[in-house]
Amino acid sequence: MTFSQAIAYFTREACINLIRGWKVSLLAILTIAVSLFLAGIFLVVSANLRQVVERWQGESKIVVYLETGSEEPSRQRIAERLTEAEWVVSIEAVSPEVAGQRFRETFPGLADLLDGWGEEPLPASFEVSLDWERTENEALEDWLEELRTDPAVSMIDDDRDWLRQLQAVALVLRGLGMVLGAVLLATAVFMISSVIRLTAFLYRDEIAIMRLVGATEFLIRGPFYMEGLLQGFVGGGLAVTALLVAHSLVVQRSAESLLASVLATESPGFLQLLLLVGLGGLAGLIGAVTSLRKETLGQTPDAPEWSVVE
Amino acid sequence: MIEFFNVTKRYPGGQVGLAEVTLRIPKGQMVFLTGASGAGKTTFLKLIYREEVPNTGNILVNGRNVSSLPQAKIPYLRRTIGVVFQNFRLIPRKTVFENVSYLPRVLGLDFKTQKKLSYETLRLVGLAHRMNAFPMQLSGGEQQRVAVARALINQPEILLADEPTGNLDPELSEEILRLFLQINLRGTTLIFATHDRTLIQRVGRRVLTLDRGQLVGDQELPGQLAPTAAGPRSAEPVDHEAAAREASGRSTPERGTPARGAPGRGVPGPGAQP
Repeated sequence: MTFSQAIAYFTREACINLIRGWKVSLLAILTIAVSLFLAGIFLVVSANLRQVVERWQGESKIVVYLETGSEEPSRQRIAERLTEAEWVVSIEAVSPEVAGQRFRETFPGLADLLDGWGEEPLPASFEVSLDWERTENEALEDWLEELRTDPAVSMIDDDRDWLRQLQAVALVLRGLGMVLGAVLLATAVFMISSVIRLTAFLYRDEIAIMRLVGATEFLIRGPFYMEGLLQGFVGGGLAVTALLVAHSLVVQRSAESLLASVLATESPGFLQLLLLVGLGGLAGLIGAVTSLRKETLGQTPDAPEWSVVE
Repeated sequence: MIEFFNVTKRYPGGQVGLAEVTLRIPKGQMVFLTGASGAGKTTFLKLIYREEVPNTGNILVNGRNVSSLPQAKIPYLRRTIGVVFQNFRLIPRKTVFENVSYLPRVLGLDFKTQKKLSYETLRLVGLAHRMNAFPMQLSGGEQQRVAVARALINQPEILLADEPTGNLDPELSEEILRLFLQINLRGTTLIFATHDRTLIQRVGRRVLTLDRGQLVGDQELPGQLAPTAAGPRSAEPVDHEAAAREASGRSTPERGTPARGAPGRGVPGPGAQP
């Protein structure tokens, strides 16, 4: 029997087994599909979140608020300190008037809050764009700390604080997805292993006859391995389909929801999807291999050591 | 040829299957293996087709030491040996054709050749007309003949029968026995395990007697039963080569094609790789 004939034979026999025991096979396939789907969701969400963080990182700034009523020399001094720093890309001075105008535009319902103060109540500030490749520089942190102690500075708003938190959330989600996916995949492997052991038990009479007429181990085990592989691939395929459907649903709602728009930034990549299907197949194959021990298949005993003559 | 040299088989728990058995069965001989239940008949057969391994001693089957045969080579040994059991061991969910064609399928022969070989072999046992029936639709005798056909499809050099008439009434037993005699006439070495002394006395031939694993008798008995009086079910011998030739589109034998019964048959021989 050639290799292609063997593969065709395995596939045919595996399909027959799958159809005959479709209920248990379906259960195993669904377990794989659910575990890969959940793992996929977590991976896609964390990947999207990471992308969002990266995008926002590029746009984020440090805002140095000055004390109310600070004089021009103080402003000048702060501006010089900011410009001199090597990690500062650009600065923009925001006067109290401009800050007030922006507030009124952004929050028109709260515009009244700024009325009746006589002069603009919001402090002047500098919006500082940083070189993001150097933002984890310890010297930068020291520099910011020093800047905070300057009497002309009332406070510093650092966008990186919440970006770091968002990054941590993405990392946790990714880890959680991997752990959850691994646990569910292990369950699926166990499930497939049980299904195949059951199939081997149901077909033990046929296996015995095949062994009797001279079928090799490769031919006896092949259909079972193929069955596991097919269950895994079908499960992986279902997971990928569900993932794509879920993603398109989120995309449809992205206009209405900020969260949806964040999560639907990137669609799952082809390689990611292929990886999920491959993982399904691998899980199925592992399940099949671990289920078929010698005893399961009624393999004949090995030749005793004393009898083997080289 | 089958040779046993001081073969002992003990099962876990100490039960003796076979004890220090030494004997030789020449090629083409028909041998009855007899003894009470538990005497070691089945163990004897299992050792030949390497379902069991001896604790001590060596077993040569056609010059090959099966006691030391590695796992990977067992299938190739078994392709040269046909085995028939008392309980037929047919797969109830498969048709007669599917039951008979296991080996051609395993060898990767195309469907047409499988069908042709199965038909020819079933014709030999008089069941060509029941190819599409399921085992449950057949009588006990017919089921045993299907099992014989399954064992014969590769024209094995050796045929082992473990109480093949144990589940059959006397009339059907005789029918099966005649079939075995015909098979033996074609040059197949035949070992027929039975505890039915009457049956043995009717047929004659060489009789090996086992008692609690020991070979206690080896004698030639004269017999009367002839293989040719099998009645309407006895059929023409199968020509596997012609079947294979026909299936592959060749109409005449090629030069150097071995004669039927010799190595190089319609179904790939024992060395055929899967």
